[in-house]
Amino acid sequence: MFPSPEGKFFGITKSEANTAVKPRRREGISPDSLPLFEFSNVVNSSLDLQFILSTVLLTTMGKMLVAKGMVLLRKEEHRFEVVAAKGIDQASFPKAFSIEKTPRAICKVDKLASSRLPWIDTFVIQNQKLLVPILSEGKVVGLMSLGERMSGTKYSAMDTHLIQSLVNLSGSAIAKALIIDQLKEANRSIDRKYQELNTLFDLSKEFNVGLDAEKVVRLLTFALLGQVGASKYIICLRNHSTLQIVAARPNVERTMDPLLEQLCEIRKAEFISDLARQKRFREPGVLLQQKGMTAVIPMQMQSQIKGLILVGERLRGGNYSKVDLEFISSLGNLAIISIENARLFKEAIEKQRMEDELKIAREIQQGLLPEDLPHIQGFEIAAINIPSKQVGGDYYDALARSEREFVIAIGDVSGKGTPAALLMANVQAALRTLVPIESSLPKATAQINDLTSSNTRGAKFITFFWGILDVGSRTLRYVNAGHNPPLLLRTDGSVERLEVGGLILGIIKTQTPYQEGSVRFQSGDTLVMYTDGVSEAMDSEGRDFTEERLEVALKRYANLPANEIIHRVQQELETHTKDTPQSDDITMVVIKAL
Amino acid sequence: MADFKINHREGEGVYVIELKGYLDAHTAPELENAFQRLLNEKKFNIIVNCRELAYISSAGLGVFMAYIEDVRKNKGDIKLTNMSAKVYNVFDLLGFPLLYEIYKEEKEALSKFKTIQKA
Repeated sequence: MFPSPEGKFFGITKSEANTAVKPRRREGISPDSLPLFEFSNVVNSSLDLQFILSTVLLTTMGKMLVAKGMVLLRKEEHRFEVVAAKGIDQASFPKAFSIEKTPRAICKVDKLASSRLPWIDTFVIQNQKLLVPILSEGKVVGLMSLGERMSGTKYSAMDTHLIQSLVNLSGSAIAKALIIDQLKEANRSIDRKYQELNTLFDLSKEFNVGLDAEKVVRLLTFALLGQVGASKYIICLRNHSTLQIVAARPNVERTMDPLLEQLCEIRKAEFISDLARQKRFREPGVLLQQKGMTAVIPMQMQSQIKGLILVGERLRGGNYSKVDLEFISSLGNLAIISIENARLFKEAIEKQRMEDELKIAREIQQGLLPEDLPHIQGFEIAAINIPSKQVGGDYYDALARSEREFVIAIGDVSGKGTPAALLMANVQAALRTLVPIESSLPKATAQINDLTSSNTRGAKFITFFWGILDVGSRTLRYVNAGHNPPLLLRTDGSVERLEVGGLILGIIKTQTPYQEGSVRFQSGDTLVMYTDGVSEAMDSEGRDFTEERLEVALKRYANLPANEIIHRVQQELETHTKDTPQSDDITMVVIKAL
Repeated sequence: MADFKINHREGEGVYVIELKGYLDAHTAPELENAFQRLLNEKKFNIIVNCRELAYISSAGLGVFMAYIEDVRKNKGDIKLTNMSAKVYNVFDLLGFPLLYEIYKEEKEALSKFKTIQKA
């Protein structure tokens, strides 16, 4: 309803609002001498129900010399609303009340007073004497009441006849005006629906480009405030397993979370007052009532509750209807789709980023491994490295130091991914720098340790084994810095473990010098170096392959060539792990004396 | 995409925001920023002139709701003026005339602020 041209309800203040927002009704025409045909013309040329009823009332009051009267209109089956009252203090009078067994013909209030109809007292108190039903198409659409005549005389049969004629004359005008009012109301409700749809459309458009949960929630609150008119609200979203309050007006303390969690068992929008009556929702229900919340609406996606919207009293008054809750439901479900999409999108990006990072880590690691193994006179050498998906940080190396001496190394960095690969690069660089320098193995190991421990500040460590193989003396001098002891399988079936060395690298600057071990190869001896990815390869039930089993396997294959030994062990590992994803890098280096 | 613009004017302790174009879910954050800035600057006497506002959606109305309490708490107000019939209809449908002072002309809102300031 747009303001009348005079702009009558521009410039209202809040306190005036209730009365000022309605267009001011024109007063009815009252001269008691108004001839009937003129009266008929006046009322029938109007479509304004208020005007018509006021005119009927005033004309009747004028003709009958009555100072008090009113007109009520039927709003629902038994509910009547006062639409015009003259000479009656409306403040002391209910605006609407229930009237049952409405009289269909003019009757005297005094006569009905004994009928024990509960509503009749209202008229008695106001000293009303006559009740005139207003009929339209045979139905009672309203009621006019008249007070005492100022002349003191009672209503005669002639009077009631005249009154009935006046009311009857305006009957068709009232019917018309009622229909107009209904049409107006229907129009307005269509407008409201249209506005709701517009809101959904507006938000869905925006939600689709948003891809940002925070922004979606903000727009949702605007719609709750603007369209629904909720003065209070709480919005919570499920983040993995917990429900979190993401927006609230006014602010609420986080201790509400577990209570809200209980509400996730609802299947549809509910009024809090209904929930508070149910045993299992009593606690959250009562608390939310105290917080001024009226209804809770689940935000659902694929029939899962991903969040809740709670709304409190409406700014413009009135209660929430079922239709309102349905609308909030649509709004919420629309929002949750975008929020979930935003979350999935973020996760996808995060996953992609991690995969990219792992790819880099893998590239770094593979770049550190020797492309070709050196040819070592009188020996056979073979190696394998199978990186796991997360890139574990295994490393091995084999290079010539001189014509007689070869450096062989194997190591495993704690942690996974790029940080592990970078630290391994550090170790490799140190190793390659130190190899040509004439220095003892324990000293060089101490240097590598000092370098890495200052880089890692103790946060990471490396198990490391390296040695220098002299092809002339067929001896291997070595240092084992906390690595799985390599196994030396002798031709007589005995197994030696190469354990001499010291602390793992990277924990602390070298305090105690590393020790050097030495072994001498006989023809047919096989040295097997490996990382824990071999001994700890897991089957589907989480059982390790174990060092013992590796030893048994190696004894079985010790007579085979170096690369064949690796191949067979690899096969045994596959049999053990079957389809279980490889959780750590697998690295083996085998050296066999010919 | 239809645009939306906000102009600012200030005089005699009253701040005027002029809205232009389409105020919907997409442009609502701009109005939100404008209100937030005024609040930060402690400017609580606000007139929103809607002369060139072509369209307002519920999200746009929501922004008004989001700030009115804070403004009134600080003894200020947001008064609305110069609405087109179409825009007024949306305000009216959603019950806003109960909550806001709406004037035909900006000067009416201005004089209202002034009488309060004098008092």
